[in-house]
Amino acid sequence: MRRGLISRSPVELPDAVLDARIACTHAALRKAGLDALIVYTNNTRPAGVSWLTGFVPYWSEALLVLVRDRAPVLVAALTYRVKSWIERTSRVGEVIHTQRIGLEAARMIAGGKADAAVGIADLRGLADGIAADLRTGGPRLQLLDATTLFEALRACADPAEIALAMQATSIARQALAESAGESLGAITAKVEKTARMLAAEEVYIAAAPDLGRDARLRRIEGDIERGESFALRVSVAYKGTWVRLVRSFVDPALWQQAAAQFAAAVARLPQPNAFDGFSSWLVEGCRVAQPLEPLMGSRIAAPRALAPGALVSVQGSLSVDGQLVLLGAPALLGAPGESPGLLVDLRFE
Amino acid sequence: MAEINITEERRRHLLGAMAESSIDAMLLYGNAWQGDYLRYGADFGILEGHGFALVSSAGPAELFLDSVVEAERAEVETSGATVHFDPDVVRIVAARVDAAGVRLAAAPLHLLPSGLLANCDEPLADATALVDRLLMHKLPAEIAVLRRAAQLADDAYAVFREAVGVGRRQYEAVADVEAYLRRRGCPDNFMIIGSGGKDVLGMTPPSERRIARGDLVTTELTPALQGYFAQICRTLVVGTASDAQRRAFHVFQEALKAGVAAVRPGATAADVARAENDVFRKHGLGDYTTSKWTRVRGHGIGLFCDSKPHLLEEVDTELVPGMALIVHPNTYHPDVGYIVLGDAVVVTEEGAEVLCRTARDLFEVAA
Repeated sequence: MRRGLISRSPVELPDAVLDARIACTHAALRKAGLDALIVYTNNTRPAGVSWLTGFVPYWSEALLVLVRDRAPVLVAALTYRVKSWIERTSRVGEVIHTQRIGLEAARMIAGGKADAAVGIADLRGLADGIAADLRTGGPRLQLLDATTLFEALRACADPAEIALAMQATSIARQALAESAGESLGAITAKVEKTARMLAAEEVYIAAAPDLGRDARLRRIEGDIERGESFALRVSVAYKGTWVRLVRSFVDPALWQQAAAQFAAAVARLPQPNAFDGFSSWLVEGCRVAQPLEPLMGSRIAAPRALAPGALVSVQGSLSVDGQLVLLGAPALLGAPGESPGLLVDLRFE
Repeated sequence: MAEINITEERRRHLLGAMAESSIDAMLLYGNAWQGDYLRYGADFGILEGHGFALVSSAGPAELFLDSVVEAERAEVETSGATVHFDPDVVRIVAARVDAAGVRLAAAPLHLLPSGLLANCDEPLADATALVDRLLMHKLPAEIAVLRRAAQLADDAYAVFREAVGVGRRQYEAVADVEAYLRRRGCPDNFMIIGSGGKDVLGMTPPSERRIARGDLVTTELTPALQGYFAQICRTLVVGTASDAQRRAFHVFQEALKAGVAAVRPGATAADVARAENDVFRKHGLGDYTTSKWTRVRGHGIGLFCDSKPHLLEEVDTELVPGMALIVHPNTYHPDVGYIVLGDAVVVTEEGAEVLCRTARDLFEVAA
């Protein structure tokens, strides 16, 4: 559950940006012959609704209902006592509070057109109880999977999204600059505090406590001793946009060497051999609602196409002079013919 | 004495309940919004994506995840589970379910992705109520962890009192608490906050609002250890409390005391809620016990921070020893604004064991 700062800044996420995204979605609905679109949100799959409205639920769940050419309506399971909070942190035409969000959403759409064609972003991932309520609330509604439609709308990041990702990256970078050589718990606490004081909406910290023994990143619970070389990954959300940054605490010269190889590999994306020489690698990005979803990588048998102009977070591991180094940073994929570039300089003082 | 393996204890408990209900295999689903069913069966605290655990007596639990970073984390953090990763996890779980060839049930059925149920050849039996019972009726090892989590909640609230000060923003105070919890090795917490006066109707995630002299500052603080959330709710005043704030707070002290006194085997969730609400009604504040002003009068705690049963006058769930609850008569008071006060308790044979140790006071911090 979120407990960082959830707020909306009209400077960072102006009304005009959200209005343009909504307008673009309406146009896509018209083109596809759909009467309405439904996008689900909870604290683990918030990215579709936050992209359209800025709304991020700290817990609970909601459906955003976008009837063609009308303002978006949020049907939320959150109590109406937080209505003013929702209105402060998002841009929606109306907020309706009910525990049966599927039922209400369907009734609302069916009230306008009983046999409306309703696209649902990520229909397969929608909770079955909500899907059943949609069918009950609008027995004649045609419920169609609109995942591909929605994915295409947000594939290429707009300037506002890039700016939010840059800010999230800056927060992550400043947090990972906390490298005082104390216990892992103490370092983690500093990283967490730095990120949250810089207004992170959420922070997930994972550590590989001893790169000499195990390079897998885990959440830290209890007292875990750290080795001479270790790595930290921070996943930071800032106003709905997520990035990951990974830093290995190793010999600085080896880190610089690894960072240069990593930047070069990222620049070769989306070539499948971009990360040749790395032990593992991963590219994640947002398609619909999950903020960071695996797209390509050494563990992914069927990679997804990377859209030009997409924001992604990339991780890799490689051995430099016998030292295993983990790295990760967000990147922006270039337009066709342009190289992708990292959003951050991986040099740490 | 050998350390009790809570994962193994839960697994034994789950398999026993399954056997009694003639269920051969159980599919448990979780995500970061509702992860308790998954955690119960596979001991994985999911943060991203969908997660499924298939549990049977035939072998170790199988954990299916659609995030690479989560799968890697699960490989290190879980013991005794086989981890599978696939970006199209719904498809591979559906295939695994179809291949199982045994009597299979799922929980929570209503949260399973619709694409999974559409892809399964046979409908899955709903075992939500069965697993809910296990989640509510804690094993001694689970209660032991909750006691430690409650102690941590007490300690973190002391940090919160220090973190609150005039001019600080709400999210900065929360940052102090989160940093403290990470330093103590606690990976998770649920926390909401409110600050102000009669303009504040409830708690939300922290905002940029600056804390001011005279504010009532409310928080629900809920750290988790080994996945078990224990909660404390307290209210403080920045500066010296006014007479009106003190008078209002006394109602909440009385209501909490009445609620905790009503916790005993054989009583129901409704009895506890009614005991709290009767105090408000006695003071002419009955309207403020309704859903217009408050959500619940407490709830279960455990592997989810808002577990069943909800303490409401219409919930007839019977309390039995081993249940863990937060009793919190939190609501709006028309004279001063939103006030919270709540303690985590465990139902015992004798009544309630109160886990929180922090005084039930209206604290004052320097203005």
